[in-house]
Amino acid sequence: MPKIKQARVGIKMDMTPMVDVAFLLLTFFMLTTQFKPAEEVQIILPSSHSAFKLPETDVMSVTISKDNRIFLGFDSQRMSGRIFGEENKLRSSIEVTTKELPDMLIRARIANPKLRTVVKGDADADYGLAEDVMNILQKTNITRFNLVTDMEK
Amino acid sequence: MAGMDSGDAPRGHSKKKKKHKRMRRLGIRIDMTPMVDVAFLLLTFFMLTTTMNRPQTMEINMPPENTTVEVPQSNLITLRIKDDGVIYWNIAEETPQKVEYKDLRVLMTQKVQQNPKLITLIKVDRKGKYHMMVDIMDELNLANITRFSLAPMLDADKQVLAKAAS
Repeated sequence: MPKIKQARVGIKMDMTPMVDVAFLLLTFFMLTTQFKPAEEVQIILPSSHSAFKLPETDVMSVTISKDNRIFLGFDSQRMSGRIFGEENKLRSSIEVTTKELPDMLIRARIANPKLRTVVKGDADADYGLAEDVMNILQKTNITRFNLVTDMEK
Repeated sequence: MAGMDSGDAPRGHSKKKKKHKRMRRLGIRIDMTPMVDVAFLLLTFFMLTTTMNRPQTMEINMPPENTTVEVPQSNLITLRIKDDGVIYWNIAEETPQKVEYKDLRVLMTQKVQQNPKLITLIKVDRKGKYHMMVDIMDELNLANITRFSLAPMLDADKQVLAKAAS
């Protein structure tokens, strides 16, 4: 007598919740990702044990490159446009001289008084230039600023 | 599974539509697999490229210009950093002594314990490197010295160092 053929159990999994979660995560990551703007120069940061984090908005950065050039940059295009002119709006930072710097710092502070200044110096930049920059900051009444550093390994 | 289909026509309507030619409802099924595949691909991309950490910073508060603080010489420890990164320290007018970078933290902790009123003055040679200053500041912070001053290194300081080295 032939055996009764057992019906195959088709495995059906409801993947809808998983896909929902995947899309949720996708939107989260897409919205929170801020692509790092292309830097004018590459900076190798000195390392420290400091635990302060860089503020996210209203940042004005004074970059000192390895070959002893100074760049001034803002985190918002609106500010860059106001200080450097509309044609340079999209650039992340612009090279400035120590002579131009005080004037630009003052104008930027007038445009946005909440601006926080960060000094981003290359580890191998000359201290002399960093000293000059700090003196300029002090002269323009920016007495509180942050030095950007890397995590000490 | 990921798909949609319209079910059979509701039972209640069958009588009303008697006169119409009965249309066979097509079950609409969209295969969502490729879309979900792309979504996962993008998800992995964004998850891997996102860096959550922001760079560290060291906060510095400088006194406004033209403020002078009188400090008795005996309470002043001067750290002089030569352009080659060699560190010399002295209290008041003593002859500067060399100290290794790795021993600096211990030395500073000891000195501050001996005299809690000690004020640190950092003088870095202009030809030195920026990271030297940051390193020294970091060591001072680790030694719990949060108040210090920066001063330019003058020719007089260089002479003092040259004398100490010889």
